[in-house]
Amino acid sequence: MSARAPTVRDDALLGAGETLQSVTDTIADRALDRPPSRPWLALFLVALGLTGLFMVSIAWLLLRGVGIWGINIPVAWAFAIANYVWWIAIGMGGTFISAALYIIGKDWRSSINRYAEAMTVFAVSVSGVFPILHLGRPEFFYWLFAYPNKMTLWPQWRSSLFWDFCAILAYLIFSILYWYAGLIPDLASLRDRARSRGKQLFYGVLALGWRGEARHWAHLEALMLVMAGLAVPLVFSVHSMVGLDFSEGLLPGWHSTIFPPYFVAGALFSGFAMVLVLGITLRRWYGLGAYITERHLDNLARLVLTMSLIMAYSYLAEIFTSFYSGDPFEIGQSMARFTGAYAWVYWLVIACNVLVPQLLWWPRLRRSHALLLLVGLTVLVGMWFERFMLIVDTLYRSYLPSMWGMFYPTFWDLAMLFGSVGLFLFLFLLFARWLPVISMHELRKLVHKRATRVVAEEGT
Amino acid sequence: MSSLTRDTPARAQALQAKLGNARGPRFWRALEELADSEAFRRDLRGAFPRLADAAAMDRRGFLKFLGVSLALAGLAGCSAPPQGEMVPWVRQPERMDGDLPQFYASALPTAGYAVGVLVESHMGRPTKIEGNPKHPASLGATDARLQAAVWQVWDPDRSQAPLRDGDVASWDDFAEHALALDKRHRRDGSGLRILSGRVLSPTLAAQREALLQRYPSARWIRYEPIGDANTLAGARLAFGRPLLPRHHFERAEVIVALDADFLASFPGHVRYARDFATARAPDNGRMGRLYALEPTPSLTGAMADHRWPADMRGVDRFARLLAAELGVAVARDVPADAALQVRVRAAAADLRAHRGKGLVVAGETQPPHVHALAHLLNRTLGNAGSCVEYIEPPAPLEPPAELAALVASMRAGRVQTLLVLGANPVYDAPSDLRFADALARVGDSIHHGLYRDETARACRWHLPQSHALEAWSDSLDSDGRASIVQPLLRPLYDSRSAHELLAMLTGGESDGRALVRATWQARMGDGFEARWRTSLQEGLLPAPPAAPVRVRAASAFVAELPPLPKPAGEAPLELLFRPDPSLWDGRDANNGWLQELPRPLTQLTWRNAALVAPALAERMQLANGDVVELRLHGQRVRAPIWIMPGQAPRSVTVHLGFGRRAAGRVGDGVGFDAYPLRQSRMFWAAHGLQLKATGEHVELAATQHHFTTEASDPIHVLTLEELVAKASAPAEPGAAQQSLYPPREPGDYSWGMAIDLNACIGCKACTIACQAENNIPVVGADEVRRGREMHWIRVDRYYEGDPAAPGTQHQPVPCMMCEDAPCEIVCPVGATLHDSEGLNLQVYNRCVGTRFCSNNCPYKVRRFNFLQYSDVLTETYKGQRNPDVSVRNRGVMEKCTYCIQRIERAHIDADKDSRRIADGEVVTACQAVCPTQAIVFGDMGDPDSAVSRAKSSPREYLMLEELNTRPHTSYAARVRNPNPALPGDAA
Repeated sequence: MSARAPTVRDDALLGAGETLQSVTDTIADRALDRPPSRPWLALFLVALGLTGLFMVSIAWLLLRGVGIWGINIPVAWAFAIANYVWWIAIGMGGTFISAALYIIGKDWRSSINRYAEAMTVFAVSVSGVFPILHLGRPEFFYWLFAYPNKMTLWPQWRSSLFWDFCAILAYLIFSILYWYAGLIPDLASLRDRARSRGKQLFYGVLALGWRGEARHWAHLEALMLVMAGLAVPLVFSVHSMVGLDFSEGLLPGWHSTIFPPYFVAGALFSGFAMVLVLGITLRRWYGLGAYITERHLDNLARLVLTMSLIMAYSYLAEIFTSFYSGDPFEIGQSMARFTGAYAWVYWLVIACNVLVPQLLWWPRLRRSHALLLLVGLTVLVGMWFERFMLIVDTLYRSYLPSMWGMFYPTFWDLAMLFGSVGLFLFLFLLFARWLPVISMHELRKLVHKRATRVVAEEGT
Repeated sequence: MSSLTRDTPARAQALQAKLGNARGPRFWRALEELADSEAFRRDLRGAFPRLADAAAMDRRGFLKFLGVSLALAGLAGCSAPPQGEMVPWVRQPERMDGDLPQFYASALPTAGYAVGVLVESHMGRPTKIEGNPKHPASLGATDARLQAAVWQVWDPDRSQAPLRDGDVASWDDFAEHALALDKRHRRDGSGLRILSGRVLSPTLAAQREALLQRYPSARWIRYEPIGDANTLAGARLAFGRPLLPRHHFERAEVIVALDADFLASFPGHVRYARDFATARAPDNGRMGRLYALEPTPSLTGAMADHRWPADMRGVDRFARLLAAELGVAVARDVPADAALQVRVRAAAADLRAHRGKGLVVAGETQPPHVHALAHLLNRTLGNAGSCVEYIEPPAPLEPPAELAALVASMRAGRVQTLLVLGANPVYDAPSDLRFADALARVGDSIHHGLYRDETARACRWHLPQSHALEAWSDSLDSDGRASIVQPLLRPLYDSRSAHELLAMLTGGESDGRALVRATWQARMGDGFEARWRTSLQEGLLPAPPAAPVRVRAASAFVAELPPLPKPAGEAPLELLFRPDPSLWDGRDANNGWLQELPRPLTQLTWRNAALVAPALAERMQLANGDVVELRLHGQRVRAPIWIMPGQAPRSVTVHLGFGRRAAGRVGDGVGFDAYPLRQSRMFWAAHGLQLKATGEHVELAATQHHFTTEASDPIHVLTLEELVAKASAPAEPGAAQQSLYPPREPGDYSWGMAIDLNACIGCKACTIACQAENNIPVVGADEVRRGREMHWIRVDRYYEGDPAAPGTQHQPVPCMMCEDAPCEIVCPVGATLHDSEGLNLQVYNRCVGTRFCSNNCPYKVRRFNFLQYSDVLTETYKGQRNPDVSVRNRGVMEKCTYCIQRIERAHIDADKDSRRIADGEVVTACQAVCPTQAIVFGDMGDPDSAVSRAKSSPREYLMLEELNTRPHTSYAARVRNPNPALPGDAA
């Protein structure tokens, strides 16, 4: 084997000259000592305002009922369900990056898995609010769960909503545990570096007495591997379940076996886009260029492009099956999608999810951060409208023409959509301020790996 | 998808192109597609504007309210303390326990005359009106307005205490005033005028006579905005005396309706609808044929086999041509094109072929000579005597000119005292009379009515009237048959009936019950008590109806027919006035049920609109909801338009009864008031209308928006020939669809419903009967606009063919009660499930409101409480509620239950006797009210039950059968019987 210098591609996972010490210093410093930056403060205020709006909306909703939204008969679901599916889909991307890449041993995940997991936790939390709030009687949401009760009433097992409820709950618990377990060594590092008593206590309690013993590390490695192994099927099952929420229905446009894979693909698509958007933002405003490198962004962009192609395939397959079925209602539904009242939504979805991501074929464009950010945001918008399209476009004209009706969002529909974005941002900004946004111990592992490889290469 | 909105011509072309390419029947529902009304405005004006002025109260006002509050403090319960002796039930009378409803026979007015009803009462609270099966004007059915009468009793805006100059007074104060009145008019009664509506009560008529004897120079004018002056004048032309025709549609095989909406607005229309449906039952291969000419679509026109839009002149011309064709010596100079000639000849031939079994009917809206021509034709064809009889008007009105004379003398200051009994002339008198101005010149004006309405506010005295369910009276139906009106409860407020009020003025017996008894004691004579008791039970007095009058037709008038109006060309439009199908002349404007009932044909709620033909809208570039100014003889009224398929091109229709200024919290300011355009010389139609677009737009609250190009075919239509062919063909083996689910164990019963689309006239009485029976809330205009109306049974309306003269179909849609219900499998909490009797149940307590069931319902029959729709705060509304049905709160789904409370009642009764429920023992609310018996309900498991027999008809089909939901509600196809001589001309 001929001797070769470390290539750019290898190095690109980590800035040159990063050491065990510098990695920990830089990242811990952002959580412990550095005062909040101006962009952080500005964004935090925006997020706080939107979160306030979200809380006001929730209060008004609980006071008045779901009638404050624009939903009606026939369009009995709209923004709330679209928001729910959108957010839970975004969460999916984080788990996938963290767990699937972990299993197949892709090192480049190390710099992004922490914030991706955090994104998952927050997105799933935000998402989980909606299925409860969308209920006519949210105070009885627990009736969806199988719990022992005197009346021996059980949920209705055939309903996908019950399974969906279980899936969300399982996923929320799991993603919190997975994220938290990976955080423990870093929390211990922060505990050890914190100078104020309050912070020592805060991180100390959260670190659960981690002392960095070999035994601890062995347990953690085993746990993370097992959880990653669980996480990957969970990603698929949860989103298949969300898909079944719709395909269980009898309506043309919903009643389709393509939904589970289609929803998984859509979930990964929007999840990757969100990781990309957050990565670019963190990198710029947190000065993390040494850790979230061109190589990471390039990889993420390629993932987004791949998923976009799968989405395009799904859209085509859906059209094909509807016409192939020969069912006049299915065909009518497809035609309404192309030319009906909500045709603009459909074409917007195609533009955002299929056309725009094609820009990522060009390596030069993949290196433009501004463009990547824009593509990421476009995909997120496109995916929201896709959820909207799936729901409203199907409901507004079902079988009987007498019961066709439109959906018009109200102020509260919009307030809850943007409010939920605000809540997500709020949680994410708190995370970015108080916790290590990049996994220190995994980066140290990377530094170590690189060092041993360089030594090994020099030795040959 | 296309629609008629702003860029109308292009859309109309697209529409025509679609219709042109269509194969088979294409159904469509409206010309406007909501999708295009992006200018959807949130009209935040609430449908129930709060009594804003109640807050801004000065000290004086506060004291007034305090006084009223004190006065009414004792009325918190249902009624005032009984005035007779109180005896406790030591032994509870049989069937008087709290949970069993009682039914009392009574009679209530609709469309001018009374219809016998049974009033359901729970523990002294009237909750529901049913038709009286023993009453010939009802035969168990009612119309929508009668159903809503029970709401009126519990209306919190009813007048509650006498008012003098707007201040609370007492009846004692008025008694004093009555003495002064008597003193003032003692000499001969000159200067005393009384204005009332139609006097249906024989007792009141006797009191009227007594009063006029006491005050011989007094005048009592009976006026109705929706009267029968043209009909009577027409009879006078033909027979020399004012008579009312009574039709026998059950005997008529060929009917020509000249702007005659006998199914919905004729006096006696409830019975007429039943007779008409009888003559059209097609299953033995025979059915009648109906030709309808009308300027504005009516329910009768929608049932016609041939419906020809024609403006007022067109109807007149057709009548003359038809008369000429049938040998009446009408001047032959009537212009007619070839197509019209073909139609006239075909109709005439049909009539001639059915001598003695045909009918020509003219509507009140037509001028007298059209009525006279119809009478003459019926005489000529031998229809008179068999299909039509003539009677003296049972409760005549004064000619409208008398009202003008009254107003003239009021204006001249010759009227010292005006007593208005139950009428509201300030609102509904012809505008040229300027009644309100004249009223201001009357020294002493007294108003007696249910509400403190426009007239009450303009009078010095206002006296609260007892509701018909609160006071004793009697009433006549359109045949002159008398019924006792018996109270269901004591007056809720400090009110008196008209009888009691008149007794105060004339002295003598003052108790309403005694007065009514006295009237009938005099007429019945011996055995009075027993006959009185029977009359109370059965709802019919033994007095015979008005006897048919033998008439001889004079054709002299034919020579003096007024000239046919000149063809107008591009010239001015004509404006038609019609009573609102729900609010009638405006008297029911404060009734939330009626306001929210989608009007037949337009499906509009909470607002009236000027109906225009598609061609006119296209020419003026108007879309549904665009506001126009209607200009007529110096009067200007702004109104949104509604494009009405089938409207005559030059006719614009406005409905009366809206735009009330003092109706109450529900009715104030809803819609526009069309009365200012109505003048005493042109009651029903006025020429010279000008329309001017204003550029404004309002969002109308319609419950329908769409026409389809989708092959869903919810309505099946056959011609009579096709039906006969189908019935004689061997039955196709039913392609039983496979199901993934195992078959259900059959239960004891299998409830099912069969709806006959050939009988349904689209009157929507079922919708409101269901609302009354099942405690369905009123949601208001905003919520309807959002698509959140709550009616459990809706009546869909589809059009077919050319928008200028479309075929119209109605389809009542309750829950389909699917055997394999899509709603059941998606509910996560099992709140909707199947029972062993085939019912698809909704458990309100368990519902968490995911709304997946509604999304998954292909028929979209589920309704959701998006907000707290049930008014649980207003005390009086509680009185109306059916205690057998839960009041649903916010956040739960609801839907048609097949009136499960009635099924359960039958179960209990049958279980007590250890027997099965008999066929016909369970009658759903929609079935009971249906004037044409289009709905049949019963046990499908019993092959001999009425519903099983109905379901074996060759016309039977299931809606969206291909989805394999296996509904328990099925439909029988509509059948048309077009004249073979008029191919391609069917409605």
